[in-house]
Amino acid sequence: MVYFINDIITGALIGLLYSLVAMGFVVIYRASKVFNFAQGELVIIGGFIVWFTTMQAGLSLWLSIPLSLVLAGLVGYAIERIFLTKLIGESVFSMVMVTVGLLILLRGLVLLVFGPAVRPFPIIFPLKPLFLGDMLIPMNLLIGGIITIVAAVGLSWFFNRTRSGLRMTAVAEDHVVASSMGISVKGSIAVAWVLGAILSTIGAMIFLSGKSLTFLASDIGFAALPVALFAGLESIGGLILAGIIIGIAQSLTTNYLDPLIGGSLGSVVPYIIMLAILLIRPTGLFGWRTIERV
Amino acid sequence: MDPSGVFPTSYRSDRRLIRTRWQFLALVVFMALLLLAPYLVSSRIIAILNMMMISAVIAVGLQICTGYAGQINLGQAAFMGVGAYTASILASKTGLTFLLTIPLAGLSAALFGFLFGLTAARIKGFYLALTTIAAQFLFHFAVLNLPSTWLGGSNGITVPPAELFGLRFVSESSQFYLNFAVTAIMVAGAFGIVRSRFGRAFVAVRDDDVAAGIMGINVAATKANAFLIGAFYAGVGGALWAYLIRFVGVDQFTLFHSIFFVAMIIVGGMGSIVGALIGVFIIRIIQEIIATVGPNIADSVSFLGGDIVFAGMNVVLGGVIALFMILEPKGLMHRWNILKSSYRIWPFPY
Repeated sequence: MVYFINDIITGALIGLLYSLVAMGFVVIYRASKVFNFAQGELVIIGGFIVWFTTMQAGLSLWLSIPLSLVLAGLVGYAIERIFLTKLIGESVFSMVMVTVGLLILLRGLVLLVFGPAVRPFPIIFPLKPLFLGDMLIPMNLLIGGIITIVAAVGLSWFFNRTRSGLRMTAVAEDHVVASSMGISVKGSIAVAWVLGAILSTIGAMIFLSGKSLTFLASDIGFAALPVALFAGLESIGGLILAGIIIGIAQSLTTNYLDPLIGGSLGSVVPYIIMLAILLIRPTGLFGWRTIERV
Repeated sequence: MDPSGVFPTSYRSDRRLIRTRWQFLALVVFMALLLLAPYLVSSRIIAILNMMMISAVIAVGLQICTGYAGQINLGQAAFMGVGAYTASILASKTGLTFLLTIPLAGLSAALFGFLFGLTAARIKGFYLALTTIAAQFLFHFAVLNLPSTWLGGSNGITVPPAELFGLRFVSESSQFYLNFAVTAIMVAGAFGIVRSRFGRAFVAVRDDDVAAGIMGINVAATKANAFLIGAFYAGVGGALWAYLIRFVGVDQFTLFHSIFFVAMIIVGGMGSIVGALIGVFIIRIIQEIIATVGPNIADSVSFLGGDIVFAGMNVVLGGVIALFMILEPKGLMHRWNILKSSYRIWPFPY
């Protein structure tokens, strides 16, 4: 029974990590209407920035973490300036296809620059797990979960309550209408990518803390994709619930069902949930329901 | 537009694909050169042509699904994989002739694609693209985790060569004729499909699905059909691939391969069958150059090892997709059409 509860708690915490990475998808979508397929590559670039500032440059964590976040924001801004600004006014289809191109472009660049070697990642969060009676809770996931919830509450307040957040929401509704109302579509998309890159870097720190770093870590982007869709692409607060549900489902499948069937069903459970939710409720749990009038 | 002096006088002649005598002549010369290719060029080039023709079948399918019907499809490699696995299992376990396995491979892939296309009844827009990514992951999961006696697991499956009346398609040039015949049929079929009522429905749904629905088009069924046809082409291409490589493994059908096919139709031009063929030609040449040059560079930059080909291909093709979307989203075919009409109306500006 203790193990069962422990599995549920660990699963929920992993789910919160997915939520944090998924928040990158949602923030970019919420402010620009572009679905960013290259989210996992942003995570891995964030990971390499952190690795570079701590392990290569040898800075202390207190200095390197803020510096990494600033650098990641700059990378996000650069990507937006080079690839997406030029497409404002084109169809959203073009923008999405560009992010598909970015997915393989960034993957290739990371491989070319850093190579396939496995690197140690700095220990950002204490390695020692938290013991709660007989239960064992990984420290990095616990702190990560708290960061995720704080970030979700903060960003959700920003997008739903503040003036500039609502402006970005208008951009996500319709580029042309937003810009004719005097809202800067360009500025909104730039902020979105900076935020998306910073969130991805935080995600990389939690995910990789004390582990090893290779370019394959970007797979977390696709693991987080079902969470974003389950919550609905517009809802930041909903990510928490969706992440916890998917994390628990995955953890229980991995621990109890997989030994029975002898496969790794756990890795596709999020996708099965995603397909089911898309069929039953295409906008996700908390997504906007758009009404089409003709 | 047509050159001066060519006026269609009936609906039939207006729908013609080959409109002038020169076009007919060019087509005949092109086909004749292709047919004679095994006698004209080295076997290395024949091998490249084989890959190009198989990619052409798959890219034409993707063109119908994405270029004509406007449905983003990031699972074309998975559909190709379903076809390749079907053909290789049928060929290695039941010994069916390739005359049957290739169409059956297409049908099984079409069924798989149709299942994901069916979600179109509920899902609109980009959500639909995401189900194709799910298709990619489920395909991998199924192959790697089902009992390895079914699909070969991570070991893959070895495929016996195609055989007809005692003639075995083993050499590059004999496989060339097999691929040529199938590719010619599939491409000709594609020209037919996009001119038919289905093709017109695809274009209508792509341009505005609400308006298309009002005009009486069943939008969900049309989208599902687009996936069905696209996946059928991918399945046939996959079967040809299985007979060419004579081995199928799950690593040959990843998300990256799907994106390479997307790159082909973006370079060639969305919404044009000829564009898809041009895109295949250009991207395959780029891939061939990287695969040849890569190992030489790898010798001098040793820490990358064998990954340089994969990395270089991703950088170049990702860059190509982004560049084309920014500079010429309509592709090379659009440029060619501008050039063609401007020399036809020369010296007048329009």
